[in-house]
Amino acid sequence: MTAVTTTGRPGLGPRLNSLSKIVELGPGRLDEKLLTESGALLLRAGDRLKLSSEHTVVALAGGTGSGKSTLFNAVSGLELSPTGVRRPTTARTHACVWGLDGAAPLLDWLQVQWRHRFARASALDKGESRLHGLILLDLPDHDSIRALTDNEADRLIGLADLVVWVLDPQKYADASTHRRYVTDLAGHEAVTVFALNQSDRLSHEELAELVIDLNDLLKREGVAQPTVVPTSAVSGRGIDSLKSVIADAVSRRRAAIQRLDADLDRLTRRLAETSPVGEAPANVDAARRVGLTDALCDAVGVPALGEAMENIYAERSGRWVGWPYPRWIAKFRPDPLKSLKLDEMQVVTGRITAQPAEVVNAVQALADGLTGGMTDVWRTGLHHAARSRAGQLPQALTEELAEVAPELDRVPGWWRALKAWQYTLVAAFFLGLVWLGVGLTAGDSLPSALAVLGDTAALPWVGVMMASVLGLGALSAVASRNFVVLGASRERERLEREMRRRVGVVAESMVVEPVERELTRHNEFAAAMRGLTG
Amino acid sequence: MNTMGDGHQESAGERTLFMPPIRQPAEVRPAAPDPAAEHDADPPEAEATQDPGGEDVDAEDVADEDIADEDAGDVAEHDDEAGDDDGPDGPGVAEDAAEAPEVDEAPEVEDHADTEDQADGEATEVAEDAAEAVPEKGQDAPAQAVREEALPKEAAQRLGVALDALRLSVADLRFGLDLPGAEEARQARDDLLAQLRDYVLPRVRTSTAPALIVVAGSTGAGKSTLVNSLAEKNISRTGVRRPTTGTPVLACHPDDLPWFSSGELLGGLTRIEKPTPETGLDSLVVVSTEKLPQGVALLDTPDIDSVVEEHHDVAHRMLDAADLWIFVTTAARYADAPAWKLLRLAKERGARLGIVLSRVQPRARDVVLKHFVRMLTEYGLGDADRFVVNEATVTDGRLPDSEVTDLRLWLAELSVDEERRALAVRETLDGVLDSFRTRVPELARQLEEQVAFRNELRTDVEAAYLGALSDIERATKNGSLVNGEVLARWQDFTGSGELTRALQVRRRGKAAKQTPERIQAFRTAIRTGLESLIAAAANRASEEVVARWRHRAELGGLLGAGLERPSDELARRANRAIAAWQEHVTELVRTEGVAKRSISKIVSFDADSLALIFMVAMFSGGSVEGVPHKLVNALLGAESLRGIGAKALSDLRARIGVLFDEESMRYVQALDAAGIPDESAATRLYQATYNLEVAR
Repeated sequence: MTAVTTTGRPGLGPRLNSLSKIVELGPGRLDEKLLTESGALLLRAGDRLKLSSEHTVVALAGGTGSGKSTLFNAVSGLELSPTGVRRPTTARTHACVWGLDGAAPLLDWLQVQWRHRFARASALDKGESRLHGLILLDLPDHDSIRALTDNEADRLIGLADLVVWVLDPQKYADASTHRRYVTDLAGHEAVTVFALNQSDRLSHEELAELVIDLNDLLKREGVAQPTVVPTSAVSGRGIDSLKSVIADAVSRRRAAIQRLDADLDRLTRRLAETSPVGEAPANVDAARRVGLTDALCDAVGVPALGEAMENIYAERSGRWVGWPYPRWIAKFRPDPLKSLKLDEMQVVTGRITAQPAEVVNAVQALADGLTGGMTDVWRTGLHHAARSRAGQLPQALTEELAEVAPELDRVPGWWRALKAWQYTLVAAFFLGLVWLGVGLTAGDSLPSALAVLGDTAALPWVGVMMASVLGLGALSAVASRNFVVLGASRERERLEREMRRRVGVVAESMVVEPVERELTRHNEFAAAMRGLTG
Repeated sequence: MNTMGDGHQESAGERTLFMPPIRQPAEVRPAAPDPAAEHDADPPEAEATQDPGGEDVDAEDVADEDIADEDAGDVAEHDDEAGDDDGPDGPGVAEDAAEAPEVDEAPEVEDHADTEDQADGEATEVAEDAAEAVPEKGQDAPAQAVREEALPKEAAQRLGVALDALRLSVADLRFGLDLPGAEEARQARDDLLAQLRDYVLPRVRTSTAPALIVVAGSTGAGKSTLVNSLAEKNISRTGVRRPTTGTPVLACHPDDLPWFSSGELLGGLTRIEKPTPETGLDSLVVVSTEKLPQGVALLDTPDIDSVVEEHHDVAHRMLDAADLWIFVTTAARYADAPAWKLLRLAKERGARLGIVLSRVQPRARDVVLKHFVRMLTEYGLGDADRFVVNEATVTDGRLPDSEVTDLRLWLAELSVDEERRALAVRETLDGVLDSFRTRVPELARQLEEQVAFRNELRTDVEAAYLGALSDIERATKNGSLVNGEVLARWQDFTGSGELTRALQVRRRGKAAKQTPERIQAFRTAIRTGLESLIAAAANRASEEVVARWRHRAELGGLLGAGLERPSDELARRANRAIAAWQEHVTELVRTEGVAKRSISKIVSFDADSLALIFMVAMFSGGSVEGVPHKLVNALLGAESLRGIGAKALSDLRARIGVLFDEESMRYVQALDAAGIPDESAATRLYQATYNLEVAR
């Protein structure tokens, strides 16, 4: 593309850049055929602009028997191309060059055979200098049975800078010319000329009527301002007008650019028709990210995990920090799990996993939200991008969250301390019980060292102490349980925050990033399309 | 007259059988009063027997108004004709025909006609031939459902009936799906119908009708000029504007005028006398001129290759109705691709062809002619009749008389030599009937393609939703459901003592009715898990269906537009279905989950909780260290567990199956909306083609 950008011609260069962007981003998103055509046009534009800009390629095209070769000879003034009455006459393209310098690579590119190339040294021809830089091509016909198997005419009509359609009174309204080419080339007015040949066969009035009819026909087909030149290669009428039309194009040296511009216009129209580009957000905005994280958190079950952790802590803490007496009583009741021999089972794992189906749905919801204004093919592309790693997402979430998984069988130090404290209190209670028993039963028979036990005056105090030890135990059980619940809910908050953060990180790298890449691709493509139109 | 080189091998034998009795009367009675009336010995019988047959069809098949109308007209006309210009043996036959509305009499009429008409050895051959075909006819009759009574043994009539049947089955064809080739098939069907109506049926019914010679060719080739010159009357507009002729113009001898104005041939066209600027392509200008010989009519057609594409269709329709083709091209055009396309068509159809090369410069004449003839020979058309018209000054839309002498002579010969004309007419008709052998099966093939395509799309839908069902089945068995929230709730349930409580406490009274929050949440978690499983599977399935459709054909993409997502009601339906299933499982556990006697002494359980444990056990498929499984196993016993498990799973499958059936109905509806090709129509077509072959 360097050739294009360095030529510095306004308009065409940037548009071709847009086209190259489209060709780059198009695969899988554009109609295969259009993509090929776009690539071909890009290549052709590059080639043509690299080749001689001093020359203008003018092709004489038309049906068999319309007199292309005769006209070719009349314009060149030499009998270069054989003419005849047998149809079709010309099978190979002939070329005549005015001003040979630099024309050879162009003729090579046009694939005109060496033996069919002729040169007019314009310096030798008086009055022909205005045609300097003209490469005139005499094409084979496009409508005979031979042309069905030979696309030579087709190819060169596509390559020439300026096409002169040679029409004749018999065939000027043939569908093979109009449907296949003229309708297709609407918008190419600047680089298309219609020569109504064999005008010597008509009377003056007939010719006038015919020119009007042809003009009408062309206008109906979308050629806004057709250039129609009546000519007669036999009588020489109109040859000069045709020459001056050609000379005009040759001297302006703009035909190649105009032709490419017109081709680009046509391609742009078709691109816009077949592959309209929709609207898409530039990136995944914060609200959508939060939505995705929320949905993924639900798939992991973050709220349920927190709740479970809280409940399990509360339940287990009872065994450590609770008042021991009710626990002992409960042991006398039959345990159904034990009777089913299931009490040894490890039921709590603390594993964090995600439901694959919910993960898929979360990703789908994100993609659905983004593709509202996009066209089908891009929508499918975005969904594919979003889902590209959804298969690994549950596993990745499990791995990422393994570190923060709550240790449900964890026993904090203060639980042990409290358990010790409770047992101390229990011990104190039993001590008091012993004291009380000894004091009431043994009385004075105690040895003097233990006489204090027998002091009946102290006994009520012992009773009071026992009651308060019991009360203290119950109180501290309640208090520490509250502490457990408080701690657990704080832990839960922390856990949920941490899990959410980590889910967000995973979602960012595995979902949001590929989605944003696709969004960028879409928006670049849309920009290129706008650049092509503008 | 040259015969076409090939394409007629099959019909040749038939013709030898058919033709001699035709010649016979002409030789015996050279001075027949009206050549048209008896130039063909078959037709009088054909007419005579056609009539009761026609009425028959009328009576039986009231439903089809088309036929009724046509046949009614037919009958009236033939009666007229038979009464007016009868041959020597005409009156008897005509009377019989007129008096014989009952079909029982028809065979008698037949024999009568046969013996009178053809006291010739070969007549018996014909009769035998016809007699042979009768039993076959009996087989055909039920298939056509047109008539049941015994049929007259008449070849032309049998042909007419077979053609009518073919016309009906072709008219029944609908190509609803816009597949590649469907547009062509629709066009081919219309062409076929038009040709049957415009040409084949009238021609078979009335083979005495004058021959129609259609002049066709490129725009600017000079068709109108040629017709004007031959008619010596400016009947068709000429000029430099291309295309010139828009309305077809028919020129014939005044005696033939009634036949052409009657509207049986080319029935769809409005007859007018003079072209006006407003007349469209659906009109036919009919002009009579003394300069044209009797028995031949010229039809000037629009072009085949101008930018006005409607002209091509009209020209082809005219050619379809032609007894003979005159193809006009010029020295400048003779290598044009459209011209050769038309010549190839003529060859395929086996039409009698005359080729006119006009606008030939006298000095180039030899070169051009030699080259043209070589091309024609290469194409296998070397023996067609050829005429050369030199480039000459056209005065008042006509060529100098000298240029068209050859052609005029050719027409005159055709007019005078009935045998030759009949041969030409018969050849073209045979060619057209031959072409049905490929054209009709072609239509049937397209129809079968449509049927196959529709079946493929339906298979896609079924495959996608079957896949979705098996996805769900897999997910319910591999433990992936017991993840995320369900797992968390299960841990909550077991770890927080709820499990023990559920097993221990025999709830009574009010307490039993209240489901604890935790159990409710657990139940919801399982339901949500199942619902998202269904949503994901349905999503995948709907996307897959549309992707497969799009992949098959462009039409598939169009049909699937707007169906890439599951229906909006799916979520609601799935919610209801899963809730109902959970109820069902609870009920199963309550009624069938009789605990083992040994256990029930120690443990009582609450059906709600047990149902939940049971679901987790069912979905965990070995994960969660098998706890729930062991638990329910211990509580319910392996046997009862298996029973409930199988029932619960099949119930779930059935409920999801119903959901997916409703989903896939949307696609079936989209398919139906696009048109349902009739599968039996193809068979009927083949049958009708076969019957036609038999009738010939």
